[in-house]
Amino acid sequence: MVVLDPAGDPVQQDAADDREARYPQLMVVAEDLLRLRVSERSAYWVATSASPTSRFEPGERLGRDRLLVTEEIDTTLREYLEALFLDVVAGPPASFLPLDQMREVLASDDRQDLALGVLVRADREAVILIRGDLGRTVVSWSWFQPTPDGTAPDFGDVEVIDYGLTVRLGRYEAAVEAILYEFDREFRVRERQRRIEMDPSFGAALRRLRIQKGVPRSGFEGISEREIARIERSEVARPHASTLRAIADRLGVEPADIETY
Amino acid sequence: MPEPLPLPQSLSAEGWKVKIRNRERLEPPHATVIRGTRFWRWNLRSHQFMDRDPSPGDVPDELVRLLHVHHDDLVRRWDSVHPGNPVGTPEGE
Repeated sequence: MVVLDPAGDPVQQDAADDREARYPQLMVVAEDLLRLRVSERSAYWVATSASPTSRFEPGERLGRDRLLVTEEIDTTLREYLEALFLDVVAGPPASFLPLDQMREVLASDDRQDLALGVLVRADREAVILIRGDLGRTVVSWSWFQPTPDGTAPDFGDVEVIDYGLTVRLGRYEAAVEAILYEFDREFRVRERQRRIEMDPSFGAALRRLRIQKGVPRSGFEGISEREIARIERSEVARPHASTLRAIADRLGVEPADIETY
Repeated sequence: MPEPLPLPQSLSAEGWKVKIRNRERLEPPHATVIRGTRFWRWNLRSHQFMDRDPSPGDVPDELVRLLHVHHDDLVRRWDSVHPGNPVGTPEGE
């Protein structure tokens, strides 16, 4: 195994790798260990097995760093690493992108909106998306609705593909951006700044949210279909607070969050 | 299964894909052009890219031409998977 030199410089670097040339903060420390410096004082580490974690010794200044191990690790090792690092993620290798794609995700400015891997917790019927900033997003199995063409998700055959843009569940595919759009408010705020052809009005946001949730205009108890249509067409400047609450409750969001969609 | 739009070898070898997946953001209906970690959403109603970032100019002209050529196939695909918001529905309805 190649050892990290005292100065912290990469001791093994693939000169042919354009990505590393363009993103010098991403270092191949060893063949089974990457380090991505994300700020002056913090870094992400990716180990493709448990063995390179032996280099992390007690007292090392890793308390601002995050670690991903693409291998299941035992409880004691996890406790040890969690004491050293700000955050530790570990799981079976099949759950994560291949290393070449993982490097692309880590080097991307949009890494937080891409997936590095996905874990399934069957007893909780949950899918856990591991994002490029090592953040996690938990999604219930029920969100992955079968489509009318007969395709249903297979939670026993799950992986991230397309450089972190798609979660595959058997023959079923889900866009990572669709997951984040529904489950991450900060993602939606970033999206509104980034995208064009998106009417910023409250009515347009309500329409996008309503369609995303699959609720017809007639599906709001106590609010007429015509009233919902008027709100969506911005013919109502701002709905009454009680109307807004009823709409939000039906769509399963907070009233203040409607305009983020 | 969301079969990607068949692309010529020259484009697929460069890593380009066009997909409509089982779970997408539903409004507006779109196909997603993918290459590496970047993606471009192609609006199936307006026949235009929806986003300024990444630049639509980065998508090869040949691929844009194929999006037009295969428009009906993409609409069929979208409508079969996402019938709750078909391409033919006007924006205001």
